[in-house]
Amino acid sequence: MDAVALEHLGFEIALGTYLISSVLFILYFSIKKRRLVEMGFTLALFGFAFQTLALASRWLYAGYPPWVSTYEVMSFFAWAVMGAYVILNVKSDYKSAGVLIAPLAFVLLGFASMQPTNPAPLIPALQSVWIFIHVPIIILAYCAFVIAFVASVLYLFKDKQLSEARMTEGLNRQRDVASKDTPPSRTPESTGILANFSLEQLDELAYKSVAVGFPLLTIGIITGAIWAESAWGSYWSWDPIETWALITWFVFLIYLHAKTQNWSASLAAYIAAFGFISAICTFLGVGYVLPFLQTYISVSTGLHGYAGGGAISGTVLFCGILVAVLLLLLATRKRPPNATRAPPAQTDAESGPTP
Amino acid sequence: MNFAIKVLTSIRFALATIGVIILVSVVGTLYPGGDIVFGSPLFLALVGILAISTALCSLTRIVPLWRDVRRPPVEVSDHFIQTLPYAVHLSGVTLTQVRDSLKGYMIRETRTGKTTFLLAQKGRIGRFGPHIAHFGVLILLLGVAIGAAYGNANPYNNKIAVIQEGGSQQVDGFTLRLDDFNVSYYNNGAVRDYTATVTVLDGNLIQTQNVTVNGPLTYKGLTFYLYGYGVTQSGNAWVAFQIKSTSGLPFVWVGAAVALVGIMLSLYVPHKRIWIKEADQSTQLGAISNKSSARFFREIEGVRTKLESHAHSVDHTTRSEEI
Repeated sequence: MDAVALEHLGFEIALGTYLISSVLFILYFSIKKRRLVEMGFTLALFGFAFQTLALASRWLYAGYPPWVSTYEVMSFFAWAVMGAYVILNVKSDYKSAGVLIAPLAFVLLGFASMQPTNPAPLIPALQSVWIFIHVPIIILAYCAFVIAFVASVLYLFKDKQLSEARMTEGLNRQRDVASKDTPPSRTPESTGILANFSLEQLDELAYKSVAVGFPLLTIGIITGAIWAESAWGSYWSWDPIETWALITWFVFLIYLHAKTQNWSASLAAYIAAFGFISAICTFLGVGYVLPFLQTYISVSTGLHGYAGGGAISGTVLFCGILVAVLLLLLATRKRPPNATRAPPAQTDAESGPTP
Repeated sequence: MNFAIKVLTSIRFALATIGVIILVSVVGTLYPGGDIVFGSPLFLALVGILAISTALCSLTRIVPLWRDVRRPPVEVSDHFIQTLPYAVHLSGVTLTQVRDSLKGYMIRETRTGKTTFLLAQKGRIGRFGPHIAHFGVLILLLGVAIGAAYGNANPYNNKIAVIQEGGSQQVDGFTLRLDDFNVSYYNNGAVRDYTATVTVLDGNLIQTQNVTVNGPLTYKGLTFYLYGYGVTQSGNAWVAFQIKSTSGLPFVWVGAAVALVGIMLSLYVPHKRIWIKEADQSTQLGAISNKSSARFFREIEGVRTKLESHAHSVDHTTRSEEI
């Protein structure tokens, strides 16, 4: 079997297993059997192994790393997200996070499958040592933001579930007090997938992911600027991709400041979630949503070319779904008047005790 | 005036300004030609306000921070130690033993009467991380401003120099000569790279260099980029070079590097502090960190358990000897 066939086989198997894995994770919502999660995780691992094979064989026959064309970047992103998920599960058990990770990897890979796959030789502007550094660093940063997003969304769902449980609990207690019964004292606990993590754990996971992703994004933006300077003499030209990368950087900058200011953990979770949406806009959206970018791409001799050409609907749909999920969270959010907020995972030394 | 200072030094105000910059930037990417907002007085004013706010935020905080980090209280009250996030009573362990098992800490010790106080610190530089990052961003913005002011004032900036093979052009007191121009191809006929061989002639200095798409030529504050090429009717190749001034660039790169170092310091170097107070009967230990503390507390817990179990086994031996 030649490398091209091997790549296609690995790719197809990964696409299929990510889909089945997603279905299993989603089924877990209605059929609460832990085995579904275990199976979903095993399948995801299986798919990850095959995708690794696919990317490696492509690197081998194309002669350059698999992160240049749209197809390659999408596939590499899906692979890296899965990799981050696997690493996350080495030391602790975050298998249930697959409920968001597996569908994301499937959508990215499905999106990649709609792109032309033939490797083209590198055009002059892309022949730079920076392509080996800038692109993977940016993708790793986005991976960290994916994990931060997943942790934040799970945090918000759990927070909402606990608030509602507390509200019911409160109502029950009032009724019990009215009937002169001694209420059984039990703390509300969340159910299903959310029972596997505590709020503090999710908050800390989100913070740690941002702490990894933010410096990576900073390095990515700086290396991009250096590359742009050497390629066409302008380190910054406010093209949509640069602008959105800067917006993402600003959103996570606000997140990190919020963490030192003892703002509520759920507000921080919203900021992290929006930061990820902004990252997705940088990565996918802009090139398709805005037709004028086509001109930009032809002018810039193809840097940021991954955002050019091809189908539009998948991306728009994907961004739409993400935004919708968050809006749904916002809209359905109820907070009982005296709900206690989860303590932030960080303690700020500046607000520490004084002798 | 006081009110203005108060607003400008508040983190909330700075973050709100960033929020507005985000909104304006989003608008700037939404419609064709929208990127003109980034050169608009509104946008420049927002960036200016953010720069002032960033500078003031750091300036007003760095002196108290310096004081706190340089001269932290060593002689602290019992209450102070007890209210720290990690606080324990040590049984059968002396202050000296704990001090000797703390590796890599900077230690201060004082004694009043029969009470000994100890403060162990690590990672103080981490506390300065945010301010280093702010300083880096300000240097970067200074570089951008210098580039905008001096770069644009340079008469050669953004000009195109068209030179024929074998011909030359006078630029800013020196001469640029095009010796050769080559296009290399892949097997399938796609262009691999464009290479222009040029020579700089400046008085006695003669310097020859290849200019490629990703490899421009920089000389005396001007950078020459490949911009276009063609062939004249007489069959002679010509190359167009775009000229850019390098004004402010060193500030931009140094600023970016400083900001990156500051970000890494503030995220990865936790400031750890341990206070110990040894009086007649009891030894108390308290600890705090400005970052996620679980691992730090486990580290102290490890030291403590080791020393205490050692102390107890020693205790046990002495007692059995007494019997």
